[in-house]
Amino acid sequence: MIASSSNISKIHAGAGRIALSFHGGKAWLSELSATYPLKLLSPRLSDNGVAIVYALTYGGGLVGGDCIRLAVNIESDAKLLLLSQGSTKVFKNRIQQRLASVQRTFDHPSLKVQDTTTLQKMDFTISSKAALFLLPDPVTCFRSASYTQIQTFHVSKDASLAVLDWVTSGRKSIGEDWVLSRYYSVNEVMIAGRRVAKDVMLLENNEIDSDSRLNRSLKEKLSPYSCYATLILRGPMVEETITQITTRYEGISVMQRRAPEDLLWSLSPIGSDKEHGVIIRVAGKETEIVKNWLKESLMSLEQHIGVDTYRRAFV
Amino acid sequence: MDNDETYLLLLLSDSNLPTGSFVASSGFESYIKHGFGTADAGDSRTGNKMNKTIVFMHNSINAYARSALPFMSDAHRIVQGIVRSAEYSRDSEKDLEPEEYLKETLQKIQQVDDLYDVMTLNHVTKRASKSQGVALLTLYSKGFSSPLHPSSSSDVKKATVDYTMASLVAKYKTCIRSECAPGHLPICWGILTGALGLTLERSQYLHIFLYARSLLSASVRLNEIGPYNAQQILLRVSRLVIEAEVENCKDLRTGIRLGLKSGESKDAEESRNFDKVFNGPANTWPLGEILAARHDLQHSRIFNS
Repeated sequence: MIASSSNISKIHAGAGRIALSFHGGKAWLSELSATYPLKLLSPRLSDNGVAIVYALTYGGGLVGGDCIRLAVNIESDAKLLLLSQGSTKVFKNRIQQRLASVQRTFDHPSLKVQDTTTLQKMDFTISSKAALFLLPDPVTCFRSASYTQIQTFHVSKDASLAVLDWVTSGRKSIGEDWVLSRYYSVNEVMIAGRRVAKDVMLLENNEIDSDSRLNRSLKEKLSPYSCYATLILRGPMVEETITQITTRYEGISVMQRRAPEDLLWSLSPIGSDKEHGVIIRVAGKETEIVKNWLKESLMSLEQHIGVDTYRRAFV
Repeated sequence: MDNDETYLLLLLSDSNLPTGSFVASSGFESYIKHGFGTADAGDSRTGNKMNKTIVFMHNSINAYARSALPFMSDAHRIVQGIVRSAEYSRDSEKDLEPEEYLKETLQKIQQVDDLYDVMTLNHVTKRASKSQGVALLTLYSKGFSSPLHPSSSSDVKKATVDYTMASLVAKYKTCIRSECAPGHLPICWGILTGALGLTLERSQYLHIFLYARSLLSASVRLNEIGPYNAQQILLRVSRLVIEAEVENCKDLRTGIRLGLKSGESKDAEESRNFDKVFNGPANTWPLGEILAARHDLQHSRIFNS
């Protein structure tokens, strides 16, 4: 059954597969494979029927031209917590590819992006009563880096989903503040085959116009914040979390402010149907502020993945 | 530009048109309320209120053009397909029954509309976009569509197109009322201007111009700038921004296959779809998105969005 769902017969550079099933009260990783520069690690299987997988890259970052393609299949009743270890660092573009990524094959024409761009493509299938908790550390794009991330979630009607996608302004310690070249991120959610949300974010520093009146740098547009997060929640296991966050949101009343707050967030329902979940956006002056807000707000996920498991996220 | 088009531009740029844009600030009210654009907000160029309006206008137009123009353009092209098909169909009238053709066109529009709906993940923007969208269709059916049946007209071809357009808009409005289609502003603007025969280029430019003017009038009502300032900005600053953003986004498409009968070849359309990673609609200003969504959290407010 697992083999039939695997349509990548040969694994290419940067490709990975995770297949998770659930038998006798436990989550089983029936497949966990990856090729350089991607590395998948599963420290242990916890007791709550949750598998934890860390997606890492050698050297702790990605360079221009790297392509990561991950396919994840979560079978009925299984729960997966997918994490990274430290932020995903995206280094500056360079014309030459990594030697080891020469053989990469991205034959899907829609992925014909410039070779100097770093690409991460992840496809998730979440079956009935299963859950995906995708809670990685943020992506940090270094000066002049170009990064494309495309995530697609195929969700069953009664499956649950918690997706966090966040980006920081760079290495603050060396003065980087939104000096990346291009950051492009797509999160597409299909519920029972129907597209309910397609969030496309594009952050770009382009200096096409020499006219200074027209030249708005990315930093000017995004200041005073240096970290932006998007959170998508839907399904029975995040219902309580959604209710809690919605109650907090509805309690906010904004009076005239003299200066922006350190953290700002918004919540919108996805579609008119409550079943489609919510989308939450958070902006913070520091990454830590955003991280703490997320950790706090998602605390009620503990009951589904366990206190110890939850502690592994937002470290 | 011929006289018909000049006249259409004059008609459509009338600020008294009942389009409901006067209740929308596109997030500007929320931006001010949250303390942005002040000297403390970290933006060195926002020393005074006029700059605050200009900075917001710039970011907002940039974001709106990138996310909405691809949809407006595709809707316009779909509707213009009717005009082209009317020109070709004289010899091959049995090619496709008019009813069938209309149905297919409506489905394509709906597809574009639905995609805009799932990509606009902000309930306040969605609400404003839908109410302005349906107002534009009402404007067309009540204000612009021809009341005459084609048989009673001297120019039969033109009258047939007008008649088909009126029927298309009426049907799409019914569809929106019964909630089968969302009826978003960029899509409805594309339908309206396509039905009136305004060229795509003019339609894009006018859409972004009206967006800018509406923002400036919101700024006046919010007491950020005076009415003369608004004219100054519109004359000297907005124009450059509008031109630059329309130029950047005029060729962007939604990526939906429109399957148009004429004009572009299938191959060309396919290859552009593959480019949508680089050339599709996108949200380029997450801060504006958060502030627009937080509009309803304001303790007191004068705009609806």
